[in-house]
Parts: sequence; C-alpha cells; structure tokens
Amino acid sequence: MNYMPGTASLIEDIDMGIKLRTFHFRGRHSATELNPRPEKHLVLLRDGRTLIGFLRSIDQFANLVLHQTVERIHVGKKYGDIPRGIFVVRGENVVLLGEIDLEKESDTPLQQVSIEEILEEQRVEQQTKLEAEKLKVQALKDRGLSIPRADTLDEY
Amino acid sequence: MQEYLQPGLPVCPPGYDESFVLLNNQMPSSAALWKSLEDCPLDEDEDAFQGLGEEDEEIDQFNDDTFGSGAIGSARAAANEQAGNGERDEMDLLGDHEENLAERLSKMVIENELEDPAIMRAVQTRPVLQPQPGSLNSSIWDGSEVLRRIRGPLLAQEMPTVSVLEYALPQRPPQGPEDDRDLSERALPRRSTSPVIGSPPVRAVPIGTPPKQMAIPSFSQQILCPKPVHVRPPMPPRYPAPYGERMSPNQLCSVPRPSGPQPPPESTASWRRSAMDGNSLRFAVVKSRGPYGLLGSKILSRLQLQPGRMSPSQFARVPGFVGSPLAAVNPKLLQGRVGQMLPPAPGFRAFFSGPPPTTPPSQPRPPGPGPPLQTLRSQAPMFRADTTHLHPQHRRLLHQRQQQSRNQHRSLNGAGDRGSHRCSQQDHLRKDPYANLMLQREKDWVSKIQMMQLQSTDPYLDDFYYQNYFEKLEKLSAAEEMQGDGPKKERTKLITPQVAKLEQAYKPVQFEGSLGKLTVSSVNNPRKMIDAVVPSRGEDDETKEKQVRDKRRKTLVIIEKTYSLLLDVEDYERRYLLSLEEERPALLDERKHKVCGMYDNLRAKLPGQDRPSDDHFVQIMCIRKGKRMVARILPFLSTEQAADILLTTARNLPFLIKKDSQDEVLPCLLRPFSVLLYHLPPVTVTGLLQQLMNLPQSAAAPAPCNPHLTAVLQNKFGLSLLFTLLSRVEDLQSSEPLTESSQSAQWSVWLRSPALQIVHALVFLLTVALFPIRTEVMFMATRELLRIPQAALAKPVSIPTNLVSLFSRYVDQQKLNLLETKLQLVQGIR
Repeated sequence: MNYMPGTASLIEDIDMGIKLRTFHFRGRHSATELNPRPEKHLVLLRDGRTLIGFLRSIDQFANLVLHQTVERIHVGKKYGDIPRGIFVVRGENVVLLGEIDLEKESDTPLQQVSIEEILEEQRVEQQTKLEAEKLKVQALKDRGLSIPRADTLDEY
Repeated sequence: MQEYLQPGLPVCPPGYDESFVLLNNQMPSSAALWKSLEDCPLDEDEDAFQGLGEEDEEIDQFNDDTFGSGAIGSARAAANEQAGNGERDEMDLLGDHEENLAERLSKMVIENELEDPAIMRAVQTRPVLQPQPGSLNSSIWDGSEVLRRIRGPLLAQEMPTVSVLEYALPQRPPQGPEDDRDLSERALPRRSTSPVIGSPPVRAVPIGTPPKQMAIPSFSQQILCPKPVHVRPPMPPRYPAPYGERMSPNQLCSVPRPSGPQPPPESTASWRRSAMDGNSLRFAVVKSRGPYGLLGSKILSRLQLQPGRMSPSQFARVPGFVGSPLAAVNPKLLQGRVGQMLPPAPGFRAFFSGPPPTTPPSQPRPPGPGPPLQTLRSQAPMFRADTTHLHPQHRRLLHQRQQQSRNQHRSLNGAGDRGSHRCSQQDHLRKDPYANLMLQREKDWVSKIQMMQLQSTDPYLDDFYYQNYFEKLEKLSAAEEMQGDGPKKERTKLITPQVAKLEQAYKPVQFEGSLGKLTVSSVNNPRKMIDAVVPSRGEDDETKEKQVRDKRRKTLVIIEKTYSLLLDVEDYERRYLLSLEEERPALLDERKHKVCGMYDNLRAKLPGQDRPSDDHFVQIMCIRKGKRMVARILPFLSTEQAADILLTTARNLPFLIKKDSQDEVLPCLLRPFSVLLYHLPPVTVTGLLQQLMNLPQSAAAPAPCNPHLTAVLQNKFGLSLLFTLLSRVEDLQSSEPLTESSQSAQWSVWLRSPALQIVHALVFLLTVALFPIRTEVMFMATRELLRIPQAALAKPVSIPTNLVSLFSRYVDQQKLNLLETKLQLVQGIR
C-alpha cells in the first residue's frame, strides 16, 4: 500500500466515497468490496484528551474537522464516552491520529462504563496522583532538594 | 430634602437606612421598591414624598431602560413587545428570569465537568416534559432544565454546534451574481442587521421574489442552533411555526413526499396538508437506525441514545418559504411551539433514518419563476436530511458539493460497467450528507502542498538516509522472496513526487529604478553576519603546544578534505549507473583522479624527501576519524598503494596501538587488511611479517624480549592481524610448491629460531583461544616462555583455522604432541 506524506495520507480516509478494499482470497485478488463507510479516527490531543470521530476535513496543518465526536476517557480498564458533536481541532494540538478498524473496535478488553462513573474514576485517579506527588515533593523538600516543574521553568 | 435627591443617581434619601439602597440594587423590580419604601421610616414631608415619588419613577425608568421594554437591543424587550406590552404580569415573570439569563450567560464557560450539559444530558433520564400546546409555557424560561430534557439524541443527528450568535441570523443580503462565484472560500456573510429577536427577519428582497438560480432559495435562511451541545442560555425559539402544532418545519422542507413530484399546490395550505400527510406516515416509524445505517446504530447504541429528546430549536428551524405567513404569525405560537414539537420528535428522527423512498436525487430543478414555495417544495424531494438547521449558505454549499460529487461519479461511471456501484455511491451519499465536504479540488490542493515539501532535485542529497534505508529494506525483501515463495508482503511505500531535475541558477533580485545595486539577503544570498578576520600566522615564538595544536588542526583539515574525496568516489558507482554512455569515461577519469588525490593526502610527500615519511600518515592514523577513513579508502586504492599503507601501519603499529588505547578503532581496519592480504604477493607478505614482528633481518641475534611483538600480541588488532598474516603464509606455503627455496628457508629460519618462543606462545594462544579452559600447566609454561602475564595476551578477533597446520610444520613434534594431548584432554573434559 502506498501512502502519501503528511496529512495528505488522511485524505483518502475522509470521504465516504468508495474505498476499495481488496481481499486476498486464497492468495489471489478477489472482488473489490466497496467500503462505504467513512473512516472513524482516533485523535490524541496534546492535553491528553482522546477524541473519536469521523474525519471530515483536513488541511495542510493537520487542522481537523471531526464529526460526531466522542471524547473517550480512559481510567484503568474502563472507559467512558462523552458525546461532543463537531470538533475543529487546530493542527498544532494534535499528537497523533489513527484510523479505527471498525471490525476490531468491538473486541477490546476495556470495559465501557457510564459517564458519571468514569468521571468519578478519573477524579479519584487524579487525586491519588496528586497525593503521591505531594508526598514526593515533601520528601524531597525534607532532603533539601527540589525538582523544578516544567511549567515553572522560564528559561525556554 | 430635595437637594439630596439628584436625578439619575440611586441615592439613599436621608432618613432611610442603608438597607434601602441595598434592596434597591438587588431587586430592581418596582414591587421590591415599594416594599422597601414601606419598610423605611418616612418623614412627614410632602416634598420628600414627592421626591421619593420622582425618584421611584426614575428608578422605574432605569429599570425599564435596562431590563424592560425601553431597552435597546434587549432580547427580552423585543420579545415582550411582541408578546404584547399590556401583559405586565408576563413581563414580570420574564423579568424575573432576566437575572437567570445573565447568570446563565456567565456560565457559558464550563468550569466543572459535572456542569457540562453534554455530560449531564447523557446522564439524565428524566421523562420528557409535555406542555400543553398553544399556551405559554413558562417553563421555557426555566432554562437549562427543559433544554436538557428536550434536547435530542446526541449523535444521531448531525447537528453542528453553532454559536449563540447564529441564533438570529438575518437574511443575508442577496448575492446575485456572486452566487456564481466560487464559494469555496466559505466566508459566512457579514451580519448586516442586528439580531433582533422575535422580529420578522429582515429581507432586502421582497418575500415573493423567486430565487435567482441556486438550489436554496434566497428566503430560506434562519438557522437556529440545533442540539446545543454546550451550555447555552435558554434562548427562546424565535421563529414561529406557521403550520400548527404537529408539524416540524424540518420535516416540511425536507421530507420527500411519498407521492413523488406533484404539481405545485395552489396554496400554501394545501402544501402544508400534503406535507403533513407525509409526516403522519412517519410518526409511526421510529427506528433506532441512525443516518449511517448499521454504523450509525452502533454509534447510537454506544452513546446511550435517548430517543425523543430534541431541542426545541431544532424544530424552530423555519425555512424561508414560510416567510409569507411569517408576518401573520401569532407570537404566542412562538413560545408554545416548544412543547408542540415534542410529539413530532420520533417522526423527525424517523425521517432521519429512512432514505427518501421515491424521489431520485437527480430530479431536475423546476423551471424558474414560481412561488418560492413551489421551488422549495419541488426541491424538497431531494434528500436533505438534517441539513436544514444549517446556515443557508452552508447548506447550499453542501448540496452543491453533493451535486458535484454526484456529477463526478456519474461521469466517472459513464462507462456503465459499474452501474450498481453508482447506485450504491449515491445511496451512501444520501445516507451521509456530510460526505464530500472536501471537494476533490481541495483534497488535491492539500496533497499538492505536502508533496511540494518533498520535492527535491537530488533525493540522494536531500534525503540520503531514507533512500539508503529503503534500498536496504528492498534488498532484504527481495532476498527473502528469493529464498522462499512466501506471500509478497506489501511494504508501505511513501509516495514521493517525481520531479525532473531542474536546477535554476540563482538570480539576485533587481530593483527597477533604483540608484545603485541594492542587495537583498535571502536564503540563496545570505548576508555576511560576522566580520571574522583570520589572523595570519608566522610568528616564530609560538609555543610548542601551539605548534602541536596547529599540526593537529592541519591534520584534521586534511582528513576532512580526504573524506570529501572519499564520499565522492563512493558515489561514483551510483552516478555511473545513472549516467549516459558518453559521460562514463569522463566519470572514470574523475574517479581515478580523486583516488590519487586521496592517496597523496594520506602519504604526503614532503618536498626534499625521496621517501615519504611515515609521520604524516601516522598523524592521520592517530585520529579516530582518520583510521575509519583509511579503512574506507583501502578498497579503492591500487594494490601497491594499499600495500604501502599496510606496511607503514605495521611498522608503526606499537605506536598506533598506544594511541588507539582510548578509541579502540583499529579493529575496523582488520577487514580491509585481510582482504588485501589475499592479493599480496609472497614477498610483500614476508616483508609485512617482518615489519609486524619487528624481527631482525637475520636470525642471528636472539631477542630476549621483543617489545614490538609484545605490544602487537597484547592488542586485539595486532594479534588478529598477525594471525591473518600467518594464515596467509600458510596458504602460500600450501598452495605453491616450494620452488623458491630461499624463501622457504627464510620462513623456516625465523620461525624456528629465537622466535620459537613466539611460536610457542602462539600455539598456546591458539589452544587458549580455541578452548576456554586453561590448565595450570600451560599457564605456567607460557609465563616461563615469554614473561608476559597471561592475562595481558589479547584475544584475537578470529583465528584462522589453518594455523595449526602452520605450526605443525615448524614446531617440533614434542610441542605438537603437547598440543594434541591438550586438545584431547580438553575435549575429554568437555
């Protein structure tokens, strides 16, 4: 399969038009199947959010237009979906973007839970993280050390 | 008293306590005002009362100005005007909610996730409110509660989130000939009028004007924010439904009538009726299938679909064709419509799910003039799905694109061999009106930009590593394929633009009419940034360190120059393949020239010396990069040149070894050396061996200790080289008949004599190297022999297998027996 550089490679995924998929049937090409579905994409943003939606438009900066987007929050083995609608993402905030294989989408070891539950889990996770961080900082402080946080560095 | 009362200021008249002012600020309604007045002690002063009265009036006026009907641009005010100003009690009720409005507006920024209605909505499962149709439902103003409940299923319908501003989009100015222009800029029209809510839409063109030509008639315009996903103040649905309660305007304009295209109705009423009929058909049909069919249902099920929830604003979308009845609309319907729309909800959604049954999308547009209704209606059979909530221009663009893509595909499939394909294509387009949002042109444009970045005239220059890596991969896969008949694994290949080599000479920018030559600094013509002056050397009293440093620097420079030559020479092979026939001899010449240049650099001949000194070469070899470079150069040199290099290396090996102790790069030379060795004539080999071992020419003087050899033996490279050399010797011995006795005599002489110890050592080393287990005896014997600590003896890189036979030739039987027994012993132990 040949692919194009940069965001151009996503262009084929955008359309709901014909997407030819050839099947190797007993080692030979079989009939081409029309794949009439748009490609569902998973986007990871710089702030850590995961968005899943149909990619509708892109441009050379990888600004994305996502349709019927769902924000998926993962905590441990569980995840929860928050439907969001249409997203226009500025390209610089995209970390990575990948296609979701629709057939494989359903067989994941993760368990989907309701939104409140996942938000609660997330909150708990954040809390534990914060506490651990606090302990660590305290321990370091006791020893007279300090780790400068990335956001407080103003050298760069 | 009166002097205290100044008009325009909320002041606390004397005698009243502060609470009055506070109350005044908090409860601006007149009722509150009166209340506070009663509470406060009053002076028995007529003037004061009058003043108070005046003040109250002023305050009332202030209130009205701010919140009430006198306000300019106040949403509430306009609505209230419409509602009828006489209904004060309604006003008050609405006024009460003004503060809520402000609060809600301020809450538009979602701070807490739990307040996020998107989340909340998905969570709530409250039953849908069923207001009575036709009555003012004050719960409308109750804001987010109702909206949440009423909001429709989330991703089932494609409702783009539209900003609050778009709530009241006035008619965009008629665009006339601009319609022809390329709309791909997609600039939304500027708001020419302020959004006065509730008022009939401003139109510069009278309602009855037929559309110019485009699909979307000029009167169709309003969009209301459908399905607000984010926090939104509860904006009243502003646009009345002219059709009575059970009708969704969306359905009206979009529903393809089951009976197919019909003659235009005489009146709007009949249109309505027929549309309603179509509607009623759909009420019963409630499918969970989303517009995307199976996929949609998957998504829907995932997203906890809540059927029946729809935003009132979804239904508030009124196409322009209802413009004529618009003026006559009872504003009461405006508010009552919220509840009214709920019953059609299932129908609306059902509409979504079903594709239009009868009307083919390729229905030709109706002929020009006619009532707008007609135009729209006959176009209604075209599948519009859920696009009616969009901005008219947006919608127009969307449909334009659909048309375009349909045309494209139609033309593509003109051959007719893919008829079914075509239908399915259209089917899919029908199902997903958001397909082909990007025109093919736009896609090409983006691809073009990406490809442009990859253009290069010489990929090997610009993208060397990728090219080489890819070649390696391909070679690997080709090799694999040759081996087995496995399935051809398709490797993902980056499509790179193939650009013809165009080298355009840089022409500096020239300005016309300028006096003199102006220089513009660009990437091709960079400006000199630093005025660096190289100080001339020539001072005699330079310190020694400085001289050493200079010398080292000079050596480094020479290495760099030679490296460039080397790279060019290495590249010649590729260029040779790419070049034409007539160019090839020239290339060969160039190559030869460069190779000579390299050699000269390595073995610089200083003037005044008949024999080139080793010094220069040794200097180069002291530097890590130099050693690597020599290793790379060797294959290109002629045999004699290479032999010369080898000899020099061997001669100076201890020194080099000493210098190499940190870098440990010498072993890289091993391979080219060994390759070379196999091409060398025996004489050279002999000489080389002598050099390597620093053995005296004559066998007379036995050296008790050979530091040269010791050093060699203690170094991995040296030892391996020695072994390789010896193996070569053995090859020569075995392959050629011993015609030249002198040579063989020489061999035997030095191998037997004082160097016997060395041979012993070598034998020992051989055994040691071959068998990891060392016995005590052998250990002591070696030390005896050579007075070199055992551990210091290096491990050779590889041991040629024919060394045993070599030693067997010269070593006396005793030693050989010893060796053999040791071998057996060790083997037995194993």
